[in-house]
Amino acid sequence: MASEISEPVIIGYVDSKTRKTGSKRIMPIKSVLLVLCQTAELGSCATASESSETQCLLFFRGNRRALHDRRRSYSGTLIPKLDNALVAFALFATLFFPFTVRGSEPSFRRDVMPIFFRAGCNSGTCHGSARGKDGFMLSLFGYDPKGDYERVVNEMIGRRVNIAVPEQSLLLLKATGAVPHTGGKLFSPDSDYYKTVLEWIEAGAPDDIGQVPSTVEVVLSKKGLMFEKPESSETLTVTAKASDSSTRDVTRLARFFSNNDSVARIDSDGRVTAVGPGDTNVFARFSRFTVGVEVIVLPPAAGFQWPDPVAVNFIDELVFDRLKKLRVAPSDLCDDETFLRRVTLDLVAQPPTLAEYREFIADTRSDKRAIKIDQLLDNDAFADVWTALWAEQLRVIGGNYAPVATDVKAADAFFQWIRTQMRTHRPLNEFIAEMVDASGSNLSNGPVNLYTMLVHKPQFEPKAFAADFSQAFLGVQIQCAECHNHPFDRWTQDDYYGFVSFFTGMKRKPGIEPRERRIYCDTSAPPAKHLVDGRPMPAKTLGSVEPIPAGGDPRKALAQWLTAPENEMFSRNLANRIWAQLLGRGIIEPVDDVRASNPPVNGPLLDALSKRLVEVKFDLRSVVRDICNSRVYQLSARPNASNVRDTRQFSHAHLRRLRADVLLDSIVAVTGVSRRFSGFPEGTRAIEYYPRESGDTEGPHFGDPFFSTFGRSSRATVCACETKREPTLSQTLHMVVGDSVRDRLSANGEIKRLVESKSGPDDVVEELFVRALGRQPTSDEAVAMRTLIGDAVKDVAVYEDILWSLLNSTEFAFNH
Amino acid sequence: MKSAMFLFAQLTTPSVLKRMRVTSRYWLVWPLQAFYAREVRRFSEQRGTEKRSLCGRNAFYQSMVIATLVNSVCLIVHGEEAKPITYDDHIAMIFKKHCLQCHGDSKQEAGLNFANYLAIRKGGSGGEVVVAGRSSSSRLFQAITAEDPDARMPPKNDPLAKDQIALIKSWIDTGLRQSSGSSPVAMRTLGFTPTAVVKSDGPPPMPENLPLIESARLIRPFPVLALAASPRTSLVVVASYERIDFVDPQSRSVIGSVPFPEGEPHVLRFNRSGSVLLAAGGRPVHNGVAVLYDVRSGKRLAEIGNETDIVLAADLSADEKQIAMGGSSRVVKVYSTENGVLVRSLVKHTEWITAIAYSPDGKLLATGDRVGNIHLWDAVSGGVVLPLAEHKASVTSLTWRSDSQVLVSSGEDGLIAWWDIAKGWPAFLKADAHPPQRPAGFFGKIANGVLDASFGPGGELITCGRDRSIRVWASDGNLLKTFGPESNDVSNSSMNGIRILPLTAVLTFDGSLAVSGDSAGQLKTWLMNVDQK
Repeated sequence: MASEISEPVIIGYVDSKTRKTGSKRIMPIKSVLLVLCQTAELGSCATASESSETQCLLFFRGNRRALHDRRRSYSGTLIPKLDNALVAFALFATLFFPFTVRGSEPSFRRDVMPIFFRAGCNSGTCHGSARGKDGFMLSLFGYDPKGDYERVVNEMIGRRVNIAVPEQSLLLLKATGAVPHTGGKLFSPDSDYYKTVLEWIEAGAPDDIGQVPSTVEVVLSKKGLMFEKPESSETLTVTAKASDSSTRDVTRLARFFSNNDSVARIDSDGRVTAVGPGDTNVFARFSRFTVGVEVIVLPPAAGFQWPDPVAVNFIDELVFDRLKKLRVAPSDLCDDETFLRRVTLDLVAQPPTLAEYREFIADTRSDKRAIKIDQLLDNDAFADVWTALWAEQLRVIGGNYAPVATDVKAADAFFQWIRTQMRTHRPLNEFIAEMVDASGSNLSNGPVNLYTMLVHKPQFEPKAFAADFSQAFLGVQIQCAECHNHPFDRWTQDDYYGFVSFFTGMKRKPGIEPRERRIYCDTSAPPAKHLVDGRPMPAKTLGSVEPIPAGGDPRKALAQWLTAPENEMFSRNLANRIWAQLLGRGIIEPVDDVRASNPPVNGPLLDALSKRLVEVKFDLRSVVRDICNSRVYQLSARPNASNVRDTRQFSHAHLRRLRADVLLDSIVAVTGVSRRFSGFPEGTRAIEYYPRESGDTEGPHFGDPFFSTFGRSSRATVCACETKREPTLSQTLHMVVGDSVRDRLSANGEIKRLVESKSGPDDVVEELFVRALGRQPTSDEAVAMRTLIGDAVKDVAVYEDILWSLLNSTEFAFNH
Repeated sequence: MKSAMFLFAQLTTPSVLKRMRVTSRYWLVWPLQAFYAREVRRFSEQRGTEKRSLCGRNAFYQSMVIATLVNSVCLIVHGEEAKPITYDDHIAMIFKKHCLQCHGDSKQEAGLNFANYLAIRKGGSGGEVVVAGRSSSSRLFQAITAEDPDARMPPKNDPLAKDQIALIKSWIDTGLRQSSGSSPVAMRTLGFTPTAVVKSDGPPPMPENLPLIESARLIRPFPVLALAASPRTSLVVVASYERIDFVDPQSRSVIGSVPFPEGEPHVLRFNRSGSVLLAAGGRPVHNGVAVLYDVRSGKRLAEIGNETDIVLAADLSADEKQIAMGGSSRVVKVYSTENGVLVRSLVKHTEWITAIAYSPDGKLLATGDRVGNIHLWDAVSGGVVLPLAEHKASVTSLTWRSDSQVLVSSGEDGLIAWWDIAKGWPAFLKADAHPPQRPAGFFGKIANGVLDASFGPGGELITCGRDRSIRVWASDGNLLKTFGPESNDVSNSSMNGIRILPLTAVLTFDGSLAVSGDSAGQLKTWLMNVDQK
């Protein structure tokens, strides 16, 4: 056969592992294997043996068109298997023909799909929407390459892709605006995008399933950008690393966005332009990765002087580092009165009493603030505050509809269990781990109610639970990945369904008494199925590659992984939530939306807090102590010229409206008249209250109407946004004329006693100020009050009016 | 084997059986029944949806004869104790538990009374709620299986248990029996006698002295989007890019070509005498047109329509006076062939028109769209006749049997429906008619669409699908032959990574040859009289 060959034709053979395409398509052939063809009479065309890892490329010497024409004219002829003689000949021939041939054709997954992404074809408003557009659907941002290939190539054969006349493919005509297209013109026929798609279609629009190394990492060319003045700019390049450890520049294929266009813009070429002073992040997205880089645009250096405040601990160092870099000066330290009120409200959820106030002010020790913090941390009320926060987060609601397993008795078991853990200084990781792998009766085993309360449904719903679970304990929202890969983070559908599989075995069965449900894990339950292809997804922790070992209750492995010191997602989430509780704003905000495109405003600070939390073995009080002792926590809320615009870098204290329950407890504390909650004993404080309902527990439940007015979490979802801090008109009206304040002013005769016990009106006014606002009246205020009282120095009603005014002041409603 | 069964069936006529004691009859019947059950199960797996439970001691004789002779009835076999699903035995108790509160003797919401068999058959104020043999068309079944909880019965409650729904479904599909003693409500079967094709004077038209046209711009053959066989002679026309080839199917050689400079022919149809060829197509989102050619001379007789997008579906009416065409505009446009004027627009489809076919008797026009709706129109007046709802995805083709009694539709949902036009119901349904092989370890849905269907002269149907095979079905919906695919393994195809799909399939005028065109632009033929596995 070899002897008949009149004109050798080289056919490139390239190992797919060493293949290099993309922007550079011309490459020396690695090893020429195949050969030939007898040109005069066809029939003896040869082809390479095809193994799954290799790709065989046929090339005639000359151009590709010739090959196609020839192939067409001889179509139907079977290409015989290559025999050894031909292989030998081919290898021999290579020695004499130092060919360079074009590399392989563009690959659908590697080259074409990123163009769909870059051009916006598969975005949510276009063909990426759940039902596509005008009958043509692509998976959102390309989560389903196999399906996309089918829809592009095989759904309407000859239309979208025309392999006989490639430039007539509708895909190209539409994208270049050559024919009417709702999405408009996306790229020009001169562009590299056009060329790539055209070449792919010219190659016959081949599928490349299993041949393309997946992208495993995307890297930006810069770690951070700092601009001295607006309008200066710099360009980022994006590099993708593939699973075969090859890299390529994908700047032309990535999409870019900025978190704050008033600080820095980024255009489609990756060029970052400074706009105004501040800090933000710009991002590039490619494949399933979003990577960001911090951009700082500095205010003018002129007129800025770093005050060089003393750093008390690591928190101050890191915050001040950051502020110095940003040319923002922190505010001054707050005064003792402000500190006392702030720390007391934060740690024990009520204003300082008169005695506490007097004692603290009289104290002359230099470390009296630290001593005060320690005192408050030892108070049971501190544990109660955190019990309330956890109960809210874990959606503790008691009902009396037995089938949903959330009876008041179960809720109480859960609440009391949480309180015990908080009061006994249980490390937070153990506290959570115990809930995660709890089984048993919802009435007698408190922690098992994680599985009845976190998602209030008649049946246990693994998907909803997994999403809420990760939001609560990791601050990560994975529910996007139920239908498509997370568009702004790294979570894929594989991650999501693997995580859901931890809970697919969770079952409830009736217990001994009607209210009782026994929660257990059915280890024989099948894992969750992948949405795209129904493939079973065994339980897999978030971000890992391999599923956990099969067999037994998967929650054991989950609890272990979740609460391990190495799991930074976990410790960072806890640290961030603790910080947000004390400073009024998370380092990542919102605290339960941790994602690549929502980075911490001060990464080192969050790292350090998280590390500290691990160091102290997840002891809540230690971290709270560190934070409260820091100068950052004790800064005044009064801004200075340089930090007046700062809302995110903790350069001054945030004004925070009191939580609904803290506000109610404060009113009670100031007026001395307690508040009854239905279903709870007399003397129960608002922070000890959780909704007890007559009925099932789905949907929003505020319990007491005061809480719905003042925006306590309705516990309808696990979202941190359930706790509302916005002021509303009804709140104001309630404070002005509602029964919470009005009825308390005169009840109990508290003010009457006060007036009688004090020698003069100034003393009464002072005590009312200290009680309500934790401070002395200013001299202006004192004069105003004296004028108001006039001669009626013993008229209780006047003092009631004064207290009413104080309780209706913004200062009372805020922690400052 | 079939003849043996038939013989056996003869022996076990009711009169013979009657003389036997029940036990011995059972003994006699059991092994045969077991064998039959296996056959039937295999058969019903091939056939998919249409399941009719007739198997049982009483119905056994009947079912066997029907199944053996007609071989079109599928059974649900409930083990050995197979019994027909009846109202009295199975359905009444379900209704009693879930329905009678509102639709019972005391209260008849929507005029429905489910406590009484005859009342159920009669229906309610909104008409019939059950249609014998057609669960999917039965309002009752639609109501209990509705996805929308607000539309579902029983209201404000969980849906009925799956097995109960299955029972109701097979009760409807097996003919709404009242009791085990009653016979199923009549369900039509369709016999077929081919009507002779119109014999016109002279020899069958063949192209004479047509040139060969080479399209220079193609880098590889254009997919065969359209294919048609002359009704009178051994001739097929094959769509290519900007041209149409006349091909001798025996030798697969091109006799001659006519140019189609308007773009891609998407539809090819001969008239009944084989003398005129309709070609419709265009360029996507650019232009669309239908052209009539004289087969003998290749001369253009008419150019009809001037659309803004390619014509995806078109047909020439039996009297050749009208052309109906449609595409992405969602409107079926009917043009006069005499003066090219738009006669009427048929507006009812909500999606792209993908298939159009006039009935051979000239009375009806069938049109199908991309979401699976089919509408029947009066071909003369343009009035709405019937909707034919069975497809869940794009209708890929519509083809009429030559006696105009049966319309076949095929769809991307894998379904082939033989529609009994007189009734407006499918006489047979073949779900998953072209099931692709599932590769090991492959999960998820595999595209199983039927891509083309067309009738042969003897009422047999040829189809091709995404499983890459060509199938021929008897006039009673029974699978006769399967051709190809050579291999289901994609990587072995001659074009690496490119899957070749058969797009079109026809039978030649005498039914002797199956012809199919694929996405690689190749034409393949198979002899019909050679047995193929």
